[in-house]
Amino acid sequence: MPPGEADALRTAIARGSVHALLDIGERRAQRGDLQGAAEPLRRALALAPNSERALAAYARTAIAARAPGSALLALEPLARMHPTVVDYSYLLGVAWMQIGDMTSALPPLERARALDPHRELTLAALGIGLTQLKRFADAKDVLDQALRLAPEDAETIAVLAEAEEGLGDHAAAEAHARRALAGIPGHPTALLVIGLVRMQEQRYAEARAAFEEALAARPDSAKTHYQLSLACARLADRECAQRQVELYNQALKAVEERLAALRTQSLEGGEARP
Amino acid sequence: MTTASRTARALLAAALATVAAGGAATEPAAAPSLFRDATAESGITFRHQSAPEKKYIVESMGGGVALLDYDGDGLLDVYFVNSLTVDTAKEPATAPSALYRNLGDGRFVDVAVNAGVAYPGWGMGACVADVDGDGWQDFYVTALGPNHLYRNRGDGTFADVTAAAGVEGGGWSTGCGFADYDRDGDLDLFVSRYVKIDLDKLPEFGKDKTCQFRGVAVQCGPRGLAGSGDLFYRNDGNGRFTEAGKQVGVTDPDGRYGLGIAWLDADGDGWLDLFVANDAGPNFLYRNRHDGTFAEEAFPMGVAVSEDGSEQGCMGVAVGDFDNSGRQSLFVTNFAEEYNALYHNDGAYFTDVSFRSKTAPSSLPYVGWGTAFFDYDNDGWLDLVAVNGHVYPQLDQARLGASAPYRQRKLLYHNRGDGTFDEVAASMAPLLMEDRVSRGVALGDLDGDGRLDLVVNDLDGSPQVLRNELAAPGNWLRVRARGGAGNTDALGTVIAAGAAGRTQTRLVRSGTSYISQDEMAQHFGLAGAAKVDRVEVRWPDGTKTVLGELPANRVIVVAAPRSDPR
Repeated sequence: MPPGEADALRTAIARGSVHALLDIGERRAQRGDLQGAAEPLRRALALAPNSERALAAYARTAIAARAPGSALLALEPLARMHPTVVDYSYLLGVAWMQIGDMTSALPPLERARALDPHRELTLAALGIGLTQLKRFADAKDVLDQALRLAPEDAETIAVLAEAEEGLGDHAAAEAHARRALAGIPGHPTALLVIGLVRMQEQRYAEARAAFEEALAARPDSAKTHYQLSLACARLADRECAQRQVELYNQALKAVEERLAALRTQSLEGGEARP
Repeated sequence: MTTASRTARALLAAALATVAAGGAATEPAAAPSLFRDATAESGITFRHQSAPEKKYIVESMGGGVALLDYDGDGLLDVYFVNSLTVDTAKEPATAPSALYRNLGDGRFVDVAVNAGVAYPGWGMGACVADVDGDGWQDFYVTALGPNHLYRNRGDGTFADVTAAAGVEGGGWSTGCGFADYDRDGDLDLFVSRYVKIDLDKLPEFGKDKTCQFRGVAVQCGPRGLAGSGDLFYRNDGNGRFTEAGKQVGVTDPDGRYGLGIAWLDADGDGWLDLFVANDAGPNFLYRNRHDGTFAEEAFPMGVAVSEDGSEQGCMGVAVGDFDNSGRQSLFVTNFAEEYNALYHNDGAYFTDVSFRSKTAPSSLPYVGWGTAFFDYDNDGWLDLVAVNGHVYPQLDQARLGASAPYRQRKLLYHNRGDGTFDEVAASMAPLLMEDRVSRGVALGDLDGDGRLDLVVNDLDGSPQVLRNELAAPGNWLRVRARGGAGNTDALGTVIAAGAAGRTQTRLVRSGTSYISQDEMAQHFGLAGAAKVDRVEVRWPDGTKTVLGELPANRVIVVAAPRSDPR
């Protein structure tokens, strides 16, 4: 902590200075002290609950601290009060995505896209949301647009591969998965897609290898454990199939617990207040 | 890339998803209709009783319907199962179920009271079988509370033989189906059960997290409520059954939320397996081990959960050889923002082909219930219907997301014959676009014209008799298999009909759709073929009857060797 900042914080609290509290909170957040930023930002928000700067600073810091439940408390009013600011709608959508509620994420992301149709980040987020919701045709449209703006973005290419696999276009899905892997070797989504394509081709040993590689990169993917269990079952490896179902169940439980924690995790580390 | 941009991207990549949603319904178009609503002219005035607010889950799940020929006149009669509400739970006379006798001229008359089947209590669903092998169709009604086995006396009335047969069940039963799973010549009974519920201690409407939907107070459950194990009644051969779920291996010790059930030969070994659609949890597929027991193998067989490993809210189930491969595939209806799952039978395993078949996207907004494979245009390929309706009337005040409102249209899929389907309700059957709250659907040729009709039981309001009036459908053949004394309906019989170079197969089943019963006769569309080249009937004991050329457009009855048809 820089010298004098503790005194400055005490003074700001004593005087009830919103500006000073925000200055301190934003400085702390910028240097990565998200825990330290929480108190001044919370106090500033209590003093000025409708302040755009206070709400935005609190929301950004909460998102960076992986406390989307807290971020939503600031982002909902922020996006409502400032409906023409793209970033607020975008962040609101991302916060909903973080807590696993893709249905709630879509309207703010759609709003952000309407405000700025050429923002690659918004398009990528929307593409992920639509893919997760299995609206693969819509997802592909959006991801194609995102890739026109950022053609080499391996993350977006991998999600596009996933959407194309959902649409049954296996050739395109595999081509995009391989492009994503060229950009990010071992990319778990790309490997999952390749495994799914191999499953459709009934090349189960190759599918198994792809799923195992994907799990090495992302061991907590319930979907990949499930698909690996199917590949093992088709290869008559009952022990592997059973083990993967167990891991699938553990992964599902872990995801549920993680999402529950994210929903309630406050910026300060305790329970998010309603 | 800026720091903020990288952070945003990293956050995005970390976002996790657990739900699904779908596109908007298409607008109805003016077109010649496949179906005509014949409910009013048929004289059917039944209305399913239902509490308007559905404050408790027990008020949202009923609505089975069964087609049977109870009086042996060759015409399909209709049994609508009625439900009570929390307010009327102690007054069963307020919600009579109805047995409509088919008069043969398009009209029906309710004979339930005289027949002795009007008051099964808080009814849910029904399944049909000639349980005592006397040649008259009996039926079983599932309920909240004791279930009922109605034995057909053959004189237009039924005897409630539940207690004598030992099949009361108890708790909250939903799906049911009879089958001779052990090939001992008599019919056994599986009953799925849903959640444990005590009407004196009902979970308070809207009280906690599991009683909220998108910020709106709704009924509680099934998540958050304890589930009930399922029941398996083995036929002792003397009119009595013994509950043997544990010995047989279908007891459901974790108490999953069981709804629709289907007997089918999943692995093609000639023995009947059992699929159970579970709400909000993995499904069961019990493989028959040929020794009187089952092994639960839904996960390795690929039908436990969705393709991405998500547990779905499964309701109804249809079984059909939709690609004329000779194998029985599964179609499972699910909750809104999930997708209805089509599991293609690959022989030893199933593959989720829901998106590849193009059936999934249109199903995403709807809560699906009754469903059936049926060849509505007699073109030789099984089409598909799914009826819908949400469980929360309060939904219309909530953020809908991609979900349709409380009242929902139906889905009709035309089989293109290449593994894919077109959703054609708007263009082919505008009647199906009407928003309703449907539950059970049963399939049968009510008027004997060679075109398959549908009967739908709605949770709120009147049912629908949907008569198929498609102009210029293809030719057809209907086959009624007549089994031996313990199984006169020939449940579990596989019938294969070959015509014009294509072979279609059907399976005779008890317990279909969502807690409902289709007719037992099997229908084959023949497109332009004027004859069937070959019909092969594989009886439950593995023996076969083969028939040569048969002219189209007729009903044939095939009797099992050594059977004694009435």
